[in-house]
Amino acid sequence: MAREKIHVGMEIGTTKVCAVVAECRRDGEMRILGVGESPSRGVRKGEIVDFKNATQCVHDALADAEDRSDYEIKSVWLAISGSHIKSLNNRSSITLPEETTITAKEIESVEFKAKEAGIPKEDVIIHSVIQRYYVDGQEGVIDPQNMMGSKLEADFHIIHGVTNRIQNAIRCVREFDIDVEDIVVNSVASAQVVLGEQQKQAGAVLIDIGGGVTDYIVYRSGAVCHSGVIAIGGDHITNDLCIGLRIPITRAEKLKIEEGSAITSNIPAGDKITLKNDTGFSGKDIDRQMLNMIIQARLEELFTIIHKRIQEVVPERLLGAGILLTGGCSLLRGIREVAESVFPGTPVYLAHAQSVSGPMSAFENPQLSTCIGAAKYAQAVHAEMPEESILDRLKGFLSGRI
Amino acid sequence: MITYPRWLDRDTGKEPVLRLLGIGNAGVNIADRIAVRASLPLETVALNSDQQSLNASVASQKTALGPMTTHGLGASGDPEMGLEAARESMSEMRQSVQGADVVFLCAGLGGGTGSTATPQLAELARANGSLVIAVVTSPFQFEGRRRSQQAKDAMASIARHADAVVHFENDRMAEIVAPRTEAEETFAACDDILFRSVASLTRLISCPGPMAVAVPDLLGVLRGEGGAFLFGSGEADGGNRAHEALEQALRSPLLERGKLLHEARKVLVHLSGPRSLAFAEVAAIMQEISRSTSPTALLHLGVSVARDESAPLIVTLIGHCGTASHGEKAASIPAAEPVRSSPPTLVAEESVPPTPSASTVSEQAPSKVIPLKVKQENLPLDPIDRGRFEKVEPTIVEGEDLDVPTFLRRKLKR
Ligand SMILES: Nc1nc2c(ncn2[C@@H]2O[C@H](COP(=O)(O)OP(=O)(O)OP(=O)(O)O)[C@@H](O)[C@H]2O)c(=O)[nH]1
Ligand SMILES: Nc1ncnc2c1ncn2[C@@H]1O[C@H](COP(=O)(O)OP(=O)(O)OP(=O)(O)O)[C@@H](O)[C@H]1O
Ligand SMILES: [Mg+2]
Ligand SMILES: [Mg+2]
Repeated sequence: MAREKIHVGMEIGTTKVCAVVAECRRDGEMRILGVGESPSRGVRKGEIVDFKNATQCVHDALADAEDRSDYEIKSVWLAISGSHIKSLNNRSSITLPEETTITAKEIESVEFKAKEAGIPKEDVIIHSVIQRYYVDGQEGVIDPQNMMGSKLEADFHIIHGVTNRIQNAIRCVREFDIDVEDIVVNSVASAQVVLGEQQKQAGAVLIDIGGGVTDYIVYRSGAVCHSGVIAIGGDHITNDLCIGLRIPITRAEKLKIEEGSAITSNIPAGDKITLKNDTGFSGKDIDRQMLNMIIQARLEELFTIIHKRIQEVVPERLLGAGILLTGGCSLLRGIREVAESVFPGTPVYLAHAQSVSGPMSAFENPQLSTCIGAAKYAQAVHAEMPEESILDRLKGFLSGRI
Repeated sequence: MITYPRWLDRDTGKEPVLRLLGIGNAGVNIADRIAVRASLPLETVALNSDQQSLNASVASQKTALGPMTTHGLGASGDPEMGLEAARESMSEMRQSVQGADVVFLCAGLGGGTGSTATPQLAELARANGSLVIAVVTSPFQFEGRRRSQQAKDAMASIARHADAVVHFENDRMAEIVAPRTEAEETFAACDDILFRSVASLTRLISCPGPMAVAVPDLLGVLRGEGGAFLFGSGEADGGNRAHEALEQALRSPLLERGKLLHEARKVLVHLSGPRSLAFAEVAAIMQEISRSTSPTALLHLGVSVARDESAPLIVTLIGHCGTASHGEKAASIPAAEPVRSSPPTLVAEESVPPTPSASTVSEQAPSKVIPLKVKQENLPLDPIDRGRFEKVEPTIVEGEDLDVPTFLRRKLKR
């Protein structure tokens, strides 16, 4: 059977490593053929801290994905995260000799110029996303190609990260002679499948809360206007519970998922949860009020940080499509209510990958948004980029040139 | 022979270890406040006879005092019991000051634990050759005469051993902090002043800078008896940071609207900021300050640079305003042990009186004091039990260590 182009998205997450094999049709449709997963070891806050263990997990996830999709993986699109990933908005401008018709060449050079933004020398630009063009000062130009003008300006959203730290993740995959076609930051990946064009136009915030990091991205009038990473995730909640309730970490994780909630109101005073100990006898009593208070405090703080950062770039009223929560932590009971209290008046939704077909268990799982998004990103890039430039870019990455 | 404390030795190039000991309930509170601000290069140790207070603490080390004596229930304001507890835990206390170059001792005096263990710790730390700075409060008047007497006794014995005692009166702080009605808020405001003063002193001692502050200069302004201790700090960033930070510092409650600054005889001005801190900003601040101080006041200036480019500009004013006679007396009070006269920190071997050899004289001369030169990079910094985040880069947002559970940090902020 002749297959359409197949792309593999991969995330080396703090909690799980996963690979999604997806069949991408030329009309933009995407179907998931199989998902491979392995619990993570050696990953903290979205970055590899123990190369050997992490590599083993990457291997297991890839092997699992090959089994389930019956496809031999040769290359992947890798999602990247970590606190080193930062962003900025930069405007660049070029003066054209006399009245010139703007071509791809001019557009390329205005982008090139935007990339000269002052980023630290140990950093590399991962994405430069066009926000808008201006021709001779005229705003709102969507595609300046073929327009006449003497000055071309452009606003770019630039996402950059520390080269070494990015290479760590790439190396992990290349251990098995599997190519990394390109990288994509978590938030950009998730946005590919969680947000539709209408939502981007209306203005939206996508927050992916995983085990070790929270990735967020903000769209305003269809363009990315802000993005970032905060090294806080579900692990923090688990660790808080471990310290606050004096229980081992594995119990704290279980308690969080089975009983935890971020809603502190309407809990009867003295409501207790009795933990079973290993022998099955009843053990320690946990105060429900305390449990929920610890979770609520952490989530409220996280949303408050994001709120503060977003406020500086977009007024709330321009977030018509509201806030979308995805990632494993979005499954926590009461998380929507906490987000609503921090972003008053902005609707909050729980979200997962949309407009993909395949096993429902895959795309309805918010933990897989990033990974599915990485495959979708591959499809989008392939649709608009000539083949070689991608390869060139990657070679640059590996040799440390870029 | 005069020996320098290790941390003054420029040849070793080693960074000094700064440690803060919080003693008793009030002291542990301060230590916790420090511990959650990971941007400070301070190790924190909580010492208390009250197990509950230790349990709730986020300090990186915790030491129970007199568990047999007090059964972990505190000394209930009884100094006898406090002394007994300290005696029981002498070896733990000795350990808690081991290996530190600078020791801050924080306690609320007047209770049973802080009042008795603090002098002992000061003595132990001095015996190791550490620079010892005590930051203490005296009780509110309404707490009764007995507590007030206990605090006075403790003060006298701390002053005998510490290099400097920074003393805050709870009454005065509460008075100035604004006559808020809620007691809890008042306590929190006092704690915050204590926290800020320790933070400023830490930055002052540990940050590298084009103009480091010499230890004797620092001690010179810290020591003083009788007059009121003067402290103000402010921070700001942005285009107008110099003006805003200074404004804020001058408005600090302990300056009593700048009134005390006029009376001060010695004032230390410390500026800490990012590399972009301009000479013109420093000059503007100094000019403004000299306008608020008496013409005869002696101003010391220190400037240090933070590694972080986005660090705010922090202006700290430290001084003491006493009358001239108070000032003289000040020098003599900690000099109960004769060797401790001018620049006392440089003396490690207490029992050996200085021999008037040429080298000693010159080494003793304050002008030859070696400024503290420390790199701010790779500070030995691991304030709390980080659990799962032990080996990873801490998540720091706006100077706060977010790996510390939110609910614990909130409890401290109240
Ligand atoms: N600023 C401030 N002062 C406090 C606080 N708690 C107590 N104090 C003051 O410190 C004095 C000593 O109190 P504690 O620290 O509780 O006493 P302790 O050293 O633990 O001694 P015992 O409780 O007797 O074992 C009190 O008399 C108060 O004046 C606090 O939270 N903040
Ligand atoms: N039902 C649930 N309720 C609450 N939390 C959950 C639930 N299921 C998963 N989680 C939490 O979600 C987190 C994992 O999410 P996810 O799989 O998106 O992370 P990851 O991609 O591995 O990590 P990261 O992107 O941060 O590197 C864990 O902290 C886990 O405890
Ligand atoms: Mg993830
Ligand atoms: Mg006590």
